[in-house]
Amino acid sequence: MADVPLWSWRNPWLRPSVVSLLILVVVTMGVGFVWLPAESHDFAGNGLWASICRAAGVPMAWDTAGSPVRTGSGTTTVVLERSMSAPGKSDAVGRGATLALNCTTCHGARGMSVSDAPNLAGQYPEVIIKQLRDFQGGQRASSIMQALAKGLSDANITDLAAYYAYLPKARNAPTTYADALPALVRVGAPMRNIAPCIACHGSIDQKLGAPWLEGMPKAYLVVQLTSFQSGARRNDSHAQMRNMARAMSAAEISGVADFYAGRGLQGATR
Amino acid sequence: MLRASRLVLAHFWVAFIAFLGAIFLGEWQMFIRSPLSTWINNPEHYYRSVTAHGTVMGYVMPTLIAMGFGYAITELALKRPLIGLRWAWSGFWLVLAGTAMAATTVALGKASVLYTFYPPMIASPFYYLGVVLVVVGSWVWVALMAINLLAWKRDNPGAPVPLAMYGNCAGAFLWAWTSIGAAVEILVLILPASLGWADTINAGLARVLFSWTLHAIVYFWLMPCYIAFYAIVPRAIGSRLYSDTMGRVAFALFLVFSMPIGIHHLFADPEVGAGFKFVHAAMTAMVSLPTLLTVFTIVASVEIVARLRGGKGLFGWVKALPWSNPMMLALVLSFVMLGLGGAGGLINMSYQMNETVHNTQWVTGHFHLIFGGAIVIMYFMIAYDLWPTLTRSGPLPTGQIKAQLWLWFIGMLVLTLPWHLVGLMGMPRRMAYYDYSDPALAGQAWTVTASTLGGLLVVASALLFVWVLARAGLSRNRGAVIPPPYTFSRTVHEGAQVPVALNGFGLWIAMMVALTVVNYGYPIAQLASLKQASVPIIPIGGR
Repeated sequence: MADVPLWSWRNPWLRPSVVSLLILVVVTMGVGFVWLPAESHDFAGNGLWASICRAAGVPMAWDTAGSPVRTGSGTTTVVLERSMSAPGKSDAVGRGATLALNCTTCHGARGMSVSDAPNLAGQYPEVIIKQLRDFQGGQRASSIMQALAKGLSDANITDLAAYYAYLPKARNAPTTYADALPALVRVGAPMRNIAPCIACHGSIDQKLGAPWLEGMPKAYLVVQLTSFQSGARRNDSHAQMRNMARAMSAAEISGVADFYAGRGLQGATR
Repeated sequence: MLRASRLVLAHFWVAFIAFLGAIFLGEWQMFIRSPLSTWINNPEHYYRSVTAHGTVMGYVMPTLIAMGFGYAITELALKRPLIGLRWAWSGFWLVLAGTAMAATTVALGKASVLYTFYPPMIASPFYYLGVVLVVVGSWVWVALMAINLLAWKRDNPGAPVPLAMYGNCAGAFLWAWTSIGAAVEILVLILPASLGWADTINAGLARVLFSWTLHAIVYFWLMPCYIAFYAIVPRAIGSRLYSDTMGRVAFALFLVFSMPIGIHHLFADPEVGAGFKFVHAAMTAMVSLPTLLTVFTIVASVEIVARLRGGKGLFGWVKALPWSNPMMLALVLSFVMLGLGGAGGLINMSYQMNETVHNTQWVTGHFHLIFGGAIVIMYFMIAYDLWPTLTRSGPLPTGQIKAQLWLWFIGMLVLTLPWHLVGLMGMPRRMAYYDYSDPALAGQAWTVTASTLGGLLVVASALLFVWVLARAGLSRNRGAVIPPPYTFSRTVHEGAQVPVALNGFGLWIAMMVALTVVNYGYPIAQLASLKQASVPIIPIGGR
């Protein structure tokens, strides 16, 4: 055994091992990158090299004409970034408080609405930013809000978001896993693909861009859920809320709205 | 003669105590998902438990077993004291510190990301740092195995490395190479996001890097079991190993093929090209070679003793096997589970057939049967076999051992076969609850109840296992009974020359690295250079 060194082409273990590994690599690559793709028009349509690139995972332009993909005017164009969710500095909060004087008629002096407009107190900043930008671009419809948002600069929007996020949240419908809460809120309806509300909307867990719902007026929640359901409101990215609301019955919409409105408790705690 | 007894015992005890805790978590998970319990209201508790169960069973327990067994092999097979005992203890304390750190973070609900990490979910940095400490501790072991092997070879030029040590080092080198994927994923991609330095992560690249580790880690878990097949089983049943060369070839093939095939875990991932998926699928099939070689060699080895005991005929010798020997029983039970699990694995690794079972309970069933069944039952045997030498407590009670093995086997089958079935029906895995009141699911409810009962048997078996070890380890006889010198299997043809390629690892490591470059080089380079490939992170346990 000591006669033939390991790293010699004459070594009876080295040569067959290396050659068979090479053959294995060449054959499997030939099948995976040339033969199988040739059987599929999707892969082979643009010649051999393109099909090899495709099989290797090089990103492809699907639209060969080169025209940009139109996403439709209804849905959002705002890209949520985690930086939007950072708490604002105190000067931004101050500027936002001044700007917010314009909003008090409907949204309340300290962000707690006494009409059926949504509460803004303690709202996550990225939520305010996204909704105001969607009003500006017409992706979310409201004759009042679209007109008001038109005049806001990006800096104004960030300041407003910082101010409202700074105010204390309404906490009159505490989300827990207690059985007393509606099932849709706690556990959703897995067989209908309805995720639990608390998986995104705060307190237990919050996903970027999902608003804080506790204390929201019932009428507001019902209108939003039914407009998601009908498709009248469509500024939810990837149709997240439209897909949830579509499977809900009118009684269920009313039930979760009742819960989040904190029926009977409204105004009891701040 | 074992100078490192305390070291080996420390590794085994921590491994088995962690194992016992994690197995209770597993059974609790089964129970609360079954129709026997109401829905768990807070699914986060379920994912917390799954994360702890997976982290202990996937990282902590097998790593400690491989390390402890490796140190024992180094002294027992090379017949000389372990070099670097202090370093070995420092590696042990690193693993222990890492385990404590990760476990605390998981228990606090700050790391419910499952042991496979799944970016863009991001946990507390203490979880990842804990896992890193476990891996770094195991790297100390890898280095010590290499140092001890080289020192022995220097002192014994040209002598064949004992097969147990050869397999042990194959496992160590495989782990060194395969752990790099997850280490890079954690250090380069996940930790910066977890520490708040980045708010996006290249999730596709992270998944590809994890797949680098994810499949070969299974073979790292498997190595102690295969070493036991070759180096312990024939001796324990009074037989001889049919072929030493076959064992070396099997370990070498594991080294070459078990790592650069991990993309078969990403068949449903759009960021990886179909060509690479096919190549990895085809090469995954190559891993069945060393397993088939092993089954052949070990069956031939046990046939020897059966024929010596008067066994006759084509299959008649099976009756003459030493059935009363727990090692014989464990081997057969392990092979049955390996066969069933392996057959299921062929479906998982097939690019097309995988689509029918991808991310269903089938997958959970598969890896519990292979790892929890076939491999862990041999971990038990390794511990039972070494215990008299480690604790000097005298022989262990064979009746209890056999009962424990049967409980484990039956429990594992009752746990995993319904999982396979319900996976084929389409039940997704990693769900905290199922709505059994829905007519579409009502028919599947019994399978989950069955698995829960199987899990109960497995828990009983684990308790019995720890009881047997603890009784011996804490008995008054401890240290009193000098056991006969520990030996590994002898081969049928002793003194046969070992080819130079099979007495070292150079060729096989070179082939492993080359194949990794071919199979992973382009996907990693491509994903790393891709613009706009990052997605926002989702902090777990935040806000």
